[in-house]
Amino acid sequence: MSSESAVKNKGRFSGERLADLCVLLVLVVFVAWYLLDTYTASTHIMNLILVLPLAVLVLILCATELLTQLKKPLTTALGVADEKESFLSVAPVMALFTAYVLSLHWLGFDVGTFAFIALFLWLHGEKRIVWVLAYSLAFSILVALFFSKMLPYPMPMLLFPSGY
Amino acid sequence: MIDLAALQSGINLLFSDYTVWAVVVPGILIGLMFGAIPGLQISMAMAIFLPITLYMSFTHAMLFLTAIFTGGSFGGSIPAILMNIPGTSSAIATTFDGYPMARKGRHNHALGIALGASCIGVIIGYAILFVLIKSISEVVLKIGPAEMAIVILWGITLIASLSGTNIIKGMIAGLIGLMVGTIGYSEVGVTRGTMGSDYLLDGIPVIPAMMGMFAASELFKLVNTDYLVEDSSARTVSVGEIFAGFKSSVLYPWVIIRGSLIGIFIGAIPGVGSSVANLVSYIQTKRSGRSIAGEDDAFGEGNPAGVVASEAANSTSEAGSMATLLALGIPGGGATAVMLAAFTMHNITGGPQFIREQSDVVYAIVIANFGQALLLIVLGLMFIPLLANVVKVPMRYLIPSVLSLAVFGAFGLTGDLSGPVTVVVAAIVGWVFKRYEYSVPAAVIGLLLGGMAEDSLIYSWQISGGQWHYLLERPAAIVMLILLCVSLGGGKFVSVLSNKIKN
Repeated sequence: MSSESAVKNKGRFSGERLADLCVLLVLVVFVAWYLLDTYTASTHIMNLILVLPLAVLVLILCATELLTQLKKPLTTALGVADEKESFLSVAPVMALFTAYVLSLHWLGFDVGTFAFIALFLWLHGEKRIVWVLAYSLAFSILVALFFSKMLPYPMPMLLFPSGY
Repeated sequence: MIDLAALQSGINLLFSDYTVWAVVVPGILIGLMFGAIPGLQISMAMAIFLPITLYMSFTHAMLFLTAIFTGGSFGGSIPAILMNIPGTSSAIATTFDGYPMARKGRHNHALGIALGASCIGVIIGYAILFVLIKSISEVVLKIGPAEMAIVILWGITLIASLSGTNIIKGMIAGLIGLMVGTIGYSEVGVTRGTMGSDYLLDGIPVIPAMMGMFAASELFKLVNTDYLVEDSSARTVSVGEIFAGFKSSVLYPWVIIRGSLIGIFIGAIPGVGSSVANLVSYIQTKRSGRSIAGEDDAFGEGNPAGVVASEAANSTSEAGSMATLLALGIPGGGATAVMLAAFTMHNITGGPQFIREQSDVVYAIVIANFGQALLLIVLGLMFIPLLANVVKVPMRYLIPSVLSLAVFGAFGLTGDLSGPVTVVVAAIVGWVFKRYEYSVPAAVIGLLLGGMAEDSLIYSWQISGGQWHYLLERPAAIVMLILLCVSLGGGKFVSVLSNKIKN
């Protein structure tokens, strides 16, 4: 490994270890918040019978994990780190997927699905525009119509009829 | 135990009128289709086709509905193996080894072995039902919240063994999953963890969360991959290999028998059923750690025994839930609830009186299910190759299509946009968990069992008045507790003991 890439990796792994610590802290905060929310809602034993012992156990495990992580040098690599799934390559897909789901209320399942699939294909190297449009259109129409006929409740749709 | 006159009458009922079998083939195909499409449930298929049964005799109606049940039980394993989507909670454990097998190019073998285990599971399940229907119903009547708590605890022990490389992180993920499973209304009528959202009053939608954590997060991970199976030479669909996989399922007799016994017993418990049965069967197989020659992949990395264990249990649990329905008139889950509706539509009441007075119909249902298992082999072998072609689809087409299907399916399960939103949130959490070595299967199992565990603890506490010696007054609970302890530490105890004797 060249010295330049070693320095680069050192920085990356330091960032990963810090992110790992952050994930642990987020989990601790979530467990503490949920315990507090449950306790504030009611102190009856039936309300706490499972949540309280679980929360205590998780907090003990988190403290153990925190100590283990702090003992390791920050530059130690994570076992799962993989070039192919770096956050930067996954983030656009996550953002697109989130935008798709959040827009369903306005765009409906028909137009929303068409836009999501077409954008995904375009962003991932499918440059044959006819293919992109044809596949997205066929998939979104077929699946949206199939589910709208099969499901017993109305689905949000922009172009096709729906009782939503 | 077997009423021979009623058996003869049941056989006559089935073979004197061949139209009885005409409803079985479409029933299996409907079940396969609904099981194979993520988000469409077996109970949904039954509910959609329930009105048709008004124009059928009671026997025709029951055969049609049980055929949907049989087809759907296996159909759920197809997306579990090919896309890591457990379309139903009864196929969770199938993903653990089925999907890694598919990624290694052994998708044909995995699908074949799942079909084999399912068919054998259905046959064993109904064979047990055939002989022991009355005994099973008597056992089910003895099961109370304490026993249910022990069964659920059995499922929870899977969290520890699915913790992956980092045991502490795996345990944290599983226990947090259990906590998240309790979000919503509690038994004392207060809400917890809902952040004021009405969508969360009934808790986190479990199946959309499973789709997000298992499938969507895995697809995020594969975003830079060209195909599901990276080795182009392995990217084939071979009926021969599917059939070889089917045949190889008989190489795991003990896994199937154990899974079937677990499936029929847990499947008979109302409200627990196949969701827990496949997990308990998987964990017992994993603990026994046995593989056959040449199949030395570790559990969780593509061991066929894991697929067999899960599929044998979830198929057999159909017979278990039918035992409760026929003998007690109690539906154990959504599918049997629809069947109970079919009973009502034909002015029939399930329960001891039904078993006594219409034994011939009960035997006809049981025998017809043997036939259904055989038909499932034929239809499954025809249906699987069509779906297995998914391995030839480039990932840039597969990823958005499967993500969209998950969104449609999640909407289908919840009836509003809370399902799709759950998929997105669970997908991001799942990706983060995978990235930082928190076990996703442990978290999902926790999520599935959290609500059940809390309910059974509360009911046990209410019945016992907080006195723990109540457990000692229940022989069924003691037996189950002993079985649980033996399953957890029995193997190690025997090996330590045998080592001491050798020394």
